[in-house]
Amino acid sequence: MVFLTLFNLARNRGPDKYWRVQQQLRMSWHFRTRTRTCYRIGMNVVNKALMYSYNGRKLKKEQMKYLWNTRIEAGAGEHGLTRRELLEGLARSDILLDKKVLSELAVYEPRTFQSLTEIAKKTMSDTRVGKPLNVLYEK
Amino acid sequence: MSHHIIPSGFVRTVLQNGVGRHICQLQRLTLKFCKSTVGSKGMRDFIENNLLDFTRKNPGVVVYLQPRRHRTARLVAEYLNGDVHQQYVNNFSEEEIHEWVKLLRSQSGQKAVRLRKYWHTDNPSIQGIWTPMTNRDTELNIKAFPDKSLSAKLLEESTASEKLLQKAAELRSKASQSEN
Repeated sequence: MVFLTLFNLARNRGPDKYWRVQQQLRMSWHFRTRTRTCYRIGMNVVNKALMYSYNGRKLKKEQMKYLWNTRIEAGAGEHGLTRRELLEGLARSDILLDKKVLSELAVYEPRTFQSLTEIAKKTMSDTRVGKPLNVLYEK
Repeated sequence: MSHHIIPSGFVRTVLQNGVGRHICQLQRLTLKFCKSTVGSKGMRDFIENNLLDFTRKNPGVVVYLQPRRHRTARLVAEYLNGDVHQQYVNNFSEEEIHEWVKLLRSQSGQKAVRLRKYWHTDNPSIQGIWTPMTNRDTELNIKAFPDKSLSAKLLEESTASEKLLQKAAELRSKASQSEN
């Protein structure tokens, strides 16, 4: 082969139009109006949907963490602790339960959660440095 | 959006199958094959060697043989929940078909989807799910409403009158100390 320019410029242009349209229709079947059936009209909407699902995966983690924190704070507050005190107390007692499990215990096993708050209080008062014991821990 | 396109689900058993007695979910197994073509050879060998053992071990499964001329070999499994699973086994060896038959027998008829959680329980709580009354004083159960103490205003800090009284008490104690 002597003249290779044309061959070097050749590119794979992707799948046939039918398959590209089918892929979009598979992603847009649950939309409203013509965005559901028409390729050009639904193109941008499908792109947006993909973008939202990408971002949503990160947001879900943030929102679940926020929910767990809220539940732990509520549970700890019922037993006279703040969230930080509870988590600090558990960490000092070498209890490595994570926030997901703690929030589930607060909801489904309230007595176990109460015991954990007691442990946290005791450890915080035992390992307290300097200042005298606060009324908060002497219940 | 992607949950509409790629379905997902949770771990399920059909009517809590293994909790009490385990019931084989495979209702009917149909073996379709050709008597002459090469592709059905594995199937024919399977029928000759392993099929009767399978039927004796699984009396609850109905097995049909459908020899059809010039058709590809396949296994059609019908489950108790109505689902039908077709498995093409053309040009498979006898051992492979045996493995597929074992798989079809052990499956429930549910569709294979992405599992969102790898665990499931019908009884998530042993101590009882939290209610607003869980950590409250049980005296509330025998209170007669309306109750004056419970209807009293909740104050985080003391009222102005109480603060003045406190200050007066402090001054009095200071005065008595200085006298002494």
